[in-house]
Amino acid sequence: MPGILIVAEIVNGKIREASYELASVAESVASGTGRTVKSLVAGKGIGALAEEFAKKGGGEVYSADHELLGANNVEAQAAAIRAAVTASDADLVLISNTPSGWDVAPRVAAALDAAFVSDCFRIDSEGGQLAFHRRVFNGKLDATLTATPGPVVATVQPGAVAAFAGSTAGKVQKLDVALAADKLGARFVEVKQAESKGVDLSKADVIVSGGRGVGAPEKFTEVIKPLADSLGGAMGASRPVVDAGWLPHAYQVGSSGQVVQPKLYIACGISGAIQHLVGMKTSNYIIAINKDSDAPIFEVANLGVVADLFEIVPALTKAILAAKG
Amino acid sequence: MKIMVCLKQVPHQDARLAVRPDGAWIQEDNIKFEINSYDTYALEEALRTKDAGEAEVVVVSIGPDRVSQALRTALGMGADRAIHVKDPATEGSDTLGVAKILAAVAKQESPDLIFAGFMSDDGNFAAVPPMLAELLGMPHTTAAVKVERSNGTLKVDREVEGGAHEVVELKTPCVVAVQTGINQVRYASLKGIMAAKKKPLDVKTAADLDLAGKVGAGAAKVSITKIAPPPKGDRAEIVEGTTDQVVASLVNKIKELGLL
Repeated sequence: MPGILIVAEIVNGKIREASYELASVAESVASGTGRTVKSLVAGKGIGALAEEFAKKGGGEVYSADHELLGANNVEAQAAAIRAAVTASDADLVLISNTPSGWDVAPRVAAALDAAFVSDCFRIDSEGGQLAFHRRVFNGKLDATLTATPGPVVATVQPGAVAAFAGSTAGKVQKLDVALAADKLGARFVEVKQAESKGVDLSKADVIVSGGRGVGAPEKFTEVIKPLADSLGGAMGASRPVVDAGWLPHAYQVGSSGQVVQPKLYIACGISGAIQHLVGMKTSNYIIAINKDSDAPIFEVANLGVVADLFEIVPALTKAILAAKG
Repeated sequence: MKIMVCLKQVPHQDARLAVRPDGAWIQEDNIKFEINSYDTYALEEALRTKDAGEAEVVVVSIGPDRVSQALRTALGMGADRAIHVKDPATEGSDTLGVAKILAAVAKQESPDLIFAGFMSDDGNFAAVPPMLAELLGMPHTTAAVKVERSNGTLKVDREVEGGAHEVVELKTPCVVAVQTGINQVRYASLKGIMAAKKKPLDVKTAADLDLAGKVGAGAAKVSITKIAPPPKGDRAEIVEGTTDQVVASLVNKIKELGLL
């Protein structure tokens, strides 16, 4: 029986939580199919991390230590993964769907001529056949996928499963990866931290956010902002609004904007793509107003209104101002 | 300088999606299609390079007849030429199959740069651009939010976690998978649309690309067996009634929360 290869990811000198989540997925697939669990820890000076991972779910760990593997280089990482796949005879390669995984996983799949499935929230097995579960259409539908026999490279959504919390009797062996700097086409330069936002939504008790359904930039000043003002709150927006240039990035709520947790979050014309939900779903109370009753936003909202926001929001603003006297 | 832009035509973001009787995909009849949102930013990025100097922009798309409309739109926005890979034998390709088709087109075209969207609004795989780069032996990056060109290299900011940017330098030719919001996408002008009618739109088959039998459903290594709406969780309580009734309920709730 072939095995599973977990590709651990190192961030700021540590193995990131998502890698232990892969260990958890690997353990359940291994117990359902009889596969063995092996891992790759690749980087510069990572001996101790490889030892640690071997004991905490990684099992048999290949330790690939090379200057270029510690340099955030996609092609070098891909070469290490390919070497580990060859060494381990794995037919399932697990990689986290992180910015590093976005770059390296499809490259490895193409190099191996393997099946590729990204951003799985669950992988299970039925009668030996693996089933990969993921979202499609920006979260509107769930899909189940199967692969033909042969290697599969799968990325797993961070946070989708609990991290492996047990211990494993692992061991570490060195893996040599032939790398030459002049063969690499990409070079990591630096990481620039996010700049100051200018709009701090973290202190607002009430946030009224608008999405693509608001339709035009002036509608934010005419419709969304007055409701936020009436409640002494702040205005926010979803990514498509910022992408379209209707509002600056400082207003963006979501995984690539601000993560907020107000007492009340009112989502107007926001369908609820996963990247927005991540930024607001822990709000104390959520009201969603959207024309589409199937919009994923209603899955996280406490109270929903299926209607045209232009009918509800101005009337609500007026009623709140009247109630305040 | 030649820039190839990979476009996918996908169901319109506002289309009502219904699952097909076999449960394996959505019903594509009677819904509107549009250019994948990420790809419009990739096209705009290519057109800006063209506007800034000498570049030929070639747009490529795979799919049935309807796809020619997306290519005409791209030509109307300013692309110079279009290639439509139209062949039932390519239908049902998985992401690697799509990457193989695009790689075969790229080998015929020899572009200096390839722009594509970071992911598609339908499959959400985010797989094809890195696969294409690997098949062509080129460097690549994903989630690009800023692209600067200098002699023989491209300096790209990619969006990573927490709003941070990772800066990478790529030797050209290379593949850049563009994130949304990198630029403001233009509309096709009336003049552009008129001019587009005279621009070349070449149709190619799998055989033209030496891919007969190597792509399409038969060669796919992965397939969707089932799609369905996500299981309903603790769904919101839906307030119904006239606008006045709805507003009254919302005001009461806001009072209950102590915010009014």
